Amino acid sequence: MRKFDWKIFGLLIFLLSLGIIAIYSASATKIGDNYLFSNYYIKQFIWIIISMLILLILIKIPYTILEISIFPIYIITILLLVLVLFLPEIKGSHRWINFGSIHFQPSEFAKLITIMVISKLIHKPFLRDGQILFRASLVTLIPITLILLEPDLGTALTFLVILFSILLVSDLPKFYLILIVSPIFSIIFSFSIWVFLIYLLLLIYLLYRSNLEKVIIGFVVSINTFLYFITPIFWNNLKAYQQNRILTFINPLRDPFGAGYQIIQSKIAIGSGGIFGKGFLLGTQKNMNFLPEHHTDFIFSVIGEEFGFFGCIFILLIYFLFLYKIARSINKIKRKEYLLVSVGILAYITFQIFINIGMNLGIVPTTGIPLPFISYGGSNLLINVTAIGLILKYLNERSIFA
Amino acid sequence: MYKKRALSYYLSYTVILIFLILLISVFKLQIIDSEKYKNIAKKNVFRIQTIYPTRGEIYDKKYRPIAINKPSYNLYITLGKIVNKDSVSKFISINFDKSIDEVAKIIHDNRYRSYQDILLIQDIPYEKKVLASEKLNYYPSLLFKTEKIREYTYSNHFTGHTGRITEDEYKTYRNKGYSINSNIGKTGLEKQYESILRGKNGQTVLQVDASGNNLDFFKYNLQVTPQNGSDLILTIDNDLQEYISSILPENAKGSIVVMDLKTGGILAYISKPVYDPNLFASGISSAQWNNIISNPDNPLLDRVIHGTYPPGSVYKTIPASFGLESKLIEKDTKLAKCKGGMWFGDRYFKCWLEKGHGRLNVIDAIRYSCDVFFYDLSTKISLENLNRFTKQNYLSTRTGIDLPGERKGFFPSRKWYLEHYGKYVGILGHKVNLAIGQGEVLVTPLQICAYYSALGNNGVWKQPHLLDKRIETKHSYKNIAEEKHLPLSEETIKIIQRALYLAVNGKYGTGTAASIKGIDVYGKTGSAENHMGDTTHAWFSGFAKCNKFEIGFAVFVENGGHGGSVSAPIARKLINYYYGILK
Repeated sequence: MRKFDWKIFGLLIFLLSLGIIAIYSASATKIGDNYLFSNYYIKQFIWIIISMLILLILIKIPYTILEISIFPIYIITILLLVLVLFLPEIKGSHRWINFGSIHFQPSEFAKLITIMVISKLIHKPFLRDGQILFRASLVTLIPITLILLEPDLGTALTFLVILFSILLVSDLPKFYLILIVSPIFSIIFSFSIWVFLIYLLLLIYLLYRSNLEKVIIGFVVSINTFLYFITPIFWNNLKAYQQNRILTFINPLRDPFGAGYQIIQSKIAIGSGGIFGKGFLLGTQKNMNFLPEHHTDFIFSVIGEEFGFFGCIFILLIYFLFLYKIARSINKIKRKEYLLVSVGILAYITFQIFINIGMNLGIVPTTGIPLPFISYGGSNLLINVTAIGLILKYLNERSIFA
Repeated sequence: MYKKRALSYYLSYTVILIFLILLISVFKLQIIDSEKYKNIAKKNVFRIQTIYPTRGEIYDKKYRPIAINKPSYNLYITLGKIVNKDSVSKFISINFDKSIDEVAKIIHDNRYRSYQDILLIQDIPYEKKVLASEKLNYYPSLLFKTEKIREYTYSNHFTGHTGRITEDEYKTYRNKGYSINSNIGKTGLEKQYESILRGKNGQTVLQVDASGNNLDFFKYNLQVTPQNGSDLILTIDNDLQEYISSILPENAKGSIVVMDLKTGGILAYISKPVYDPNLFASGISSAQWNNIISNPDNPLLDRVIHGTYPPGSVYKTIPASFGLESKLIEKDTKLAKCKGGMWFGDRYFKCWLEKGHGRLNVIDAIRYSCDVFFYDLSTKISLENLNRFTKQNYLSTRTGIDLPGERKGFFPSRKWYLEHYGKYVGILGHKVNLAIGQGEVLVTPLQICAYYSALGNNGVWKQPHLLDKRIETKHSYKNIAEEKHLPLSEETIKIIQRALYLAVNGKYGTGTAASIKGIDVYGKTGSAENHMGDTTHAWFSGFAKCNKFEIGFAVFVENGGHGGSVSAPIARKLINYYYGILK
């Protein structure tokens, strides 16, 4: 019996429609009593149609074809990531390949295919821990390195989230994840001896609970203690402008007319929307074009300004239902590989939603990650819809493998 | 691995947690702090004003102005404040020099910049400004600003000109602090030294919160004073520049370069005809633009470095010095007898002197500019050698002058002939012509000037430059221009210099029209046949020495006639003037 999950699909279509409405408003700019429109919303509509066709094909396509094409697509994507580095800069980075007016961003495609490759390489039982760790890290670090060269920090971070989430549900003992993640926290907490000590005690407790040998516990603890001592030395050796750059990334408000400009403008737009918003097309901040990217990365600020608190709650609710529904359905997927893929997809889409809305609200740094399904942008939309399509396909299949 | 059911719960909890964080943030922004942000949005207080730096000025070697800044009334429009698009467009088109269509285009191009002031018109005459100001109350979107724009004290090609930044340039330059209203160096020195001339932006905050509260954002120090651009001091001598411009006939086309041969500093840089760079600096109208580009004499062309021409006989020193260097000829070697021409197979190549020069050595061949000597010499030199040697004397390479878009010139190779004619016929054609500077060889007048200056500087080739490249050391100035050497021995240079001296000062020399009593003038004439007209290009290039002041020069008159009768007298006047003003 084949069963299509209409609820998830319906919520997807609903999100895409909300996106069109928001982009339509973001495309408008008011001059005198007239509105001038750009054609972003039409282009987005065409992209939605294309994505839907691909989703349909994906669901119909036999698994065998899908399976044999994973590695070739991965290799092609990596080659494209190398290729973009040699293409001319657009807006200060090498992210796009241009076909006439279509900008194509290979790093978007890399996300999904990397998720599939990691899952394929590590899903088999009886793999040694080292094998899992090595395979997963290798296939993730290649795209991460290339994407950092573009440079595109936001997308590179997304890959780390993908790697981490898949490893979390893999057979790999959690100790390794603590080993990977703990140094990051040690560096962050090294500014205060007390915070660091509390963190270290917590860490020892966690390791102890994992029934690990004393040698390994000692090893992890000494690495983290070493980091505590080395970080201030490293920090003091940085040039003042380098320190500034890092501090500004963490707190953009340090630079209100540079890095913080967009966040401040976005906060003003959303905050001034109040409870009910200023009404469709009537956002004053939007119409004055304070934010240059309000049809892409800052689309949420347009929604917040024009539809207010209720509008934001509504969007958050739809997202929540959508993700919650997927999260609850995932355990119905029987094949380990597909389960890992689905967790990876869920993790990166949730991460992007959090980072983008958080950025619009001024609680996380600006990283240039678009809002899934709503922001304007072809390759991003295409890949997000395809990713959901994959989950729908896996869910569809559950009765066959049961 | 987690139990499947447990996994599902963990995932759900994570999603719930994330959405709770977002929910709380939205609540704080839109419910708790909403009033504060509504106020900011209403008052529009969050504005910074960029303070643009004053552009550096350009002066000649004696600190006399070439390009300076003058006050200008500029009209700006803020699209976000337009009440009625049609009425404001109409107002602009009636009062100023812009059609309704042009205004509509500006509005459309800048539709996403609704909160910025967009520059509409520059350099508005005072009377027009006063007239329009009275009615400006009805148009809150319009605004006059008094700013500075460029003014050029005289027309020339080396300073180039500034102009309004284009949409494409803006994309490249916005990161460097340019605004959509910026003026930017478009050509010449203005472009070459844009980064030095421009300076660095400053900024100031216009207002704080209406109720006087300091907003969170303003707790950091935001005032930045702009750094004005640096002035450029050139090696140009305004007096000499002006004098040379005045002695050229009204309709003459061509170029003249004079340089200090010890340093490479350019003293005068003239290209005719010339255009008025001030038109571009204040925003050129389409009528003026059409007027300039429809001129068949192409006043926009910089004939010193952007025009390439056959050198004619001024090229002859190249095969001559190659012959001497590679011992093909000696100082006294006499080649084929000139009877007014020479046969190569069934083709007859004429010498310019119909009655012939007889048998000559290399010095006299240059002195009288005998073609037959060089025809004969060319049979002994391979094309590859001539090509390489030309490049080694910096004739078919860029000199590297500090101006954008310098042309390289051209010297053909065997491969080039095969590609373009399908065959290379060597002696029976191409090479014979090349040896007298005809055929495919092309040079810029600047290359010729640098080459002859190097001959005058005993083989030391100085990179030509306009910006004064001397740096102050403890006790004196040190010249930091690039220095190269011509591939010539001392012996060869002596011989060539002797020949150039006799060409001007000896009996029957071709350049005697340039000789001046009391000044040692060296030079070579050239009358280059070309496809631009029936008359030859008139060349005269060389150097002059008197006391410790030594200059190199190249005079080039496009389709001017004979070098000896047209260009040499001009050289004479400019040398005379130069040493006159030195005295």
